[in-house]
Amino acid sequence: MPPVDTPAVEPVVSATEVTKRWSTTQALAGATFTIGAGVTGLLGANGAGKTTLLGLILGLHRPDSGAITVFGRDPWVAGAEVRARLGYAPEHEALPPDVAAHDVVRHLAELHGLPRREATSRASDALWEVGLGEERFRPVGTMSTGQRQRVKLALAIAHDPELLLLDEPTNGLDPSQREDMLALIEHVGVDLGMHVILSSHLLEEVERVSQSVVILEAGRVVADGGMAELSRTDPELVVELDRVDATEPAAALLAALRLAGLTASADGPRRVVVALETPAVYDVVRDALADGAYAVRKLERRTASLEDVYLASAGSGRTS
Amino acid sequence: MVASDDQARIFETGYRPYHGTRLGVSHSVWALARHTAERIMGLKRPARYKILPFASVIIAYLPAVAFIGIVALIPNGRIRLSGFIPGPGRYYGFITAAIILFTILAAPEALCPDKRSRFLGVYLSSPLNRSTYLLAKAIAVVGVLLLVTLGPPLFLLIGLALENDGPRGFGAYMGTLGQILAAGVSLSLMFGAVSLAIPSLTDRRAFASAGSLLLILGSGALTGVIVFGLGGPKDLLALGLDRLPFELALRIFTLHGLPTAAGGGLARASSAPLSTAVVVAASIGVTLVAAAVTWWRVVGTEVTR
Repeated sequence: MPPVDTPAVEPVVSATEVTKRWSTTQALAGATFTIGAGVTGLLGANGAGKTTLLGLILGLHRPDSGAITVFGRDPWVAGAEVRARLGYAPEHEALPPDVAAHDVVRHLAELHGLPRREATSRASDALWEVGLGEERFRPVGTMSTGQRQRVKLALAIAHDPELLLLDEPTNGLDPSQREDMLALIEHVGVDLGMHVILSSHLLEEVERVSQSVVILEAGRVVADGGMAELSRTDPELVVELDRVDATEPAAALLAALRLAGLTASADGPRRVVVALETPAVYDVVRDALADGAYAVRKLERRTASLEDVYLASAGSGRTS
Repeated sequence: MVASDDQARIFETGYRPYHGTRLGVSHSVWALARHTAERIMGLKRPARYKILPFASVIIAYLPAVAFIGIVALIPNGRIRLSGFIPGPGRYYGFITAAIILFTILAAPEALCPDKRSRFLGVYLSSPLNRSTYLLAKAIAVVGVLLLVTLGPPLFLLIGLALENDGPRGFGAYMGTLGQILAAGVSLSLMFGAVSLAIPSLTDRRAFASAGSLLLILGSGALTGVIVFGLGGPKDLLALGLDRLPFELALRIFTLHGLPTAAGGGLARASSAPLSTAVVVAASIGVTLVAAAVTWWRVVGTEVTR
């Protein structure tokens, strides 16, 4: 298994113009993306096509058109071989309540080809790893939501997969449990060296643990790439002014800055956003503010967050 | 006592990569079949889940235990000559209810929880696909059904043989053994196929059990009414699922059971037995249709949509 920081020779998952329709619902509409090593966030609103995409990666469905490969192989054709290298934790509550957590995890490890003795040993290891070592012989139905989510993570990692598919793994968790789960996912991706696809509709979750992201919107990929790459827009300087004498100070400042040769835009009546093309921009802005005697409420340097990328790309088309 | 350095051992190494053997799909099928069989029997589950399956099995074996006990207590030959002790072929008449009860419990437990809890999606994320998943489930159901279709007559045969009251001679013994094996397997296959078809249509165990019971008993009642009440063709009796599997078993023992004319003025059907060809054809047809329905439903089940 390649460590996370080793550049993958081939992409872990690659999709080209993949479409999938469920009767009247177009779940995927020409999705094209590449997922490499490490933790990748699969981000999108509910109904964006995330779970369908996971099903295609698992080889449970055949794309209506387009092609998808996992470790260079078509999962629909080489389903058993591909799935033997995958671990999957579903979104929904899917664990038999009357069976002990250890038995469930061992059973799934056996299904993934591990001999019974090894499966028994690794089920214990996996449950210890997710913090359920002392609870592993309790029936799943007696566990809390947070514990059941951990059991799902344990059953996905017990057979030591190369790629882990986690579908909304923080569903139903309170903030503290959610933080713990995200830390676990990061641990699995970084310390245990598994590639992880984290499907989520929550931006901050993906930002917190992912090294790259694929953003889905109504079945289309609106952005994909490394987090650093996606956020690598030129930094900006945000100037927020106080309203004085009921005027709209942003317009006047904007005119002054443009006159000085800066690239700037108004963001409402009191906010001006200036592109930080060179360090000299700071001086020009300072002088303009001083000359106009503006009342400054906030002066902030910022770079685009994933949310900016998401909102911008969702509105304007594909970014990559 | 203080251990020396060379006695030190690491007992907890934590999670680590697995570099051992990875077995193939056949191992996965077997693992799922064994897990399902354990689940049907209520093993590794709370006691309440064990009551019905174990009660059915006990009911199926009780007559055999009683017959063997009678043979052991009463001088050899007198009971046998009186026809009181059934041979393995006739034994099914004593345990029909137990077999049907076990059948309607086993298959719903095998299929319904996976669909209801959506664990099917987790199964299909393993090297199993829908066909191998269904194969594992069928092996489990047919396997546990053998407990009540093959086990009791086999137990009776062995018990009688130990009491020197079994088939005479090695050839006859082996012949009877072969008939028991064939009958037990055919009963399990047919009941297994029929009983899997209904749970494949629903994710509720209670509905599946009720539906299976209705299908098995209802088909028998309906065909009986058509043939004996309305004078329909007697071959329709072969579609009575409460009788057909047992009729096939009887044919394997070269015995006849159908038709069971009601007698009296309403009985218009011939009392002549159905041909073995009709019984065999109906058995194969029913099994294939039921298997096809199950396969169609499981293959069509949507997961991770």
